[in-house]
Amino acid sequence: MIPVRCFTCGKVISSLWQDFEKRVAELEDPGKVLDDLGVERYCCRRMLLTHIKLLDTFAPYQ
Amino acid sequence: MDVEIIELSDDNARFVLTGVNPAIANGLRKSMLSEVPTMAIDYINIYDNTSVLFDEQIGLRMGLIPIITDLDSYVLSEDCDCNDEGCTKCQLTLTLSAEGPVMVYSGDIQSSDPNVSVADEKVPIVELKERQKLVLEAVAKLGTGRKHVKYQAGVACGYKNVPVITFQDTCDACGKCVDECPKEILRIDGDKVTVTDPLKCILCRLCVDACDIKAISLEEDDSSFIFTAESDGSYPAKELIVQSADTIIEKAKLLNEILESIE
Repeated sequence: MIPVRCFTCGKVISSLWQDFEKRVAELEDPGKVLDDLGVERYCCRRMLLTHIKLLDTFAPYQ
Repeated sequence: MDVEIIELSDDNARFVLTGVNPAIANGLRKSMLSEVPTMAIDYINIYDNTSVLFDEQIGLRMGLIPIITDLDSYVLSEDCDCNDEGCTKCQLTLTLSAEGPVMVYSGDIQSSDPNVSVADEKVPIVELKERQKLVLEAVAKLGTGRKHVKYQAGVACGYKNVPVITFQDTCDACGKCVDECPKEILRIDGDKVTVTDPLKCILCRLCVDACDIKAISLEEDDSSFIFTAESDGSYPAKELIVQSADTIIEKAKLLNEILESIE
C-alpha cells in the first residue's frame, strides 16, 4: 500500500495514488500528471513516482 | 508588524510578514509545526484483521489520516477535567468495518460525533481480497506536533527573507544575468535591468556571479519574511496560522505570570 503521507514533509499523498496510477497506465507523462495533481515538492513526487505495489504479490500467501 | 497575503486557499497560504525580527518569524514557524493542537487517532482495538497488512501497519495508517479538528468541542487530554482518563470532551471514538473484496478508504470510517470526521475521505487504508475482513474501533485525541508527527497540522511551513536586488549605475545591460536567472524574473528595460517579481527570487546568486563588472548586489531584508504554510486538512490554512499565533500569545502570557509571581 502507498504510504499515507510523504515521509519528508507530511503531505497526504496516498489519496492521489489511484488517480496517478490510472493516468500513468494510460501513458500520460508522470511528471505532468504530478503537476496537474498539485504535487509540487520533489519529496512528495518521489513518493508517488517510486512506489511499487506489493499487495497483489502477497495476497495469495495469506 | 504588517501582513500582506499573496495567496490563500483552504490548504495553502503564502504571505509576506514585515517589520518583525527573525526570532518572531521563527517562533511562528515552529508554532505552526509543533504547537497547534490537532486531532489524530491514538489508540485502536482490532477485533478482526485478516488483510495482508499486520495490525501495526493498519494502526500506523489510521494514525496518519488527518481528522478535522474542532477546538470548540474538544480539549487536550492533559488539560481535561477527567484527568486523562478519557471522556467525550477529550476523546472521539471511530469505528471501521469492511469485508472483501473491497478497497477500504478513510471515508468508510464512522465517527461517533457527526460534526467531526476525517479530513480526506480518499486515503486508501488497505485493499481487502475475497474472504478478508477488517473490524476495528479507534480512539482519536488532540495532541501537538511536539509529541508525534501525526498531530502536526502544518505541512512544509517555512519562510525566507525578502530578497533585495539592486543594480549599480555601472550596469551596461549586457543581459548575462537575465539569461542566467532560473526563475526568469530579470528583464532588460531600455539601458537598464529591472526585476519583475522580487518575491520569486530564490536567492541563488547566479546573477551576481554572472555579472563581469559586479554591478548587481543581492541582499536579504532582515525584517521581512515570505512565509509558506500548508495544512494537512485538519484546519483551513488561515485557521492554522491564527491558532499558531494564539499559542505564542498564550505562552508569552504564562511566562509573564511566572515572572510576576517571582517578584
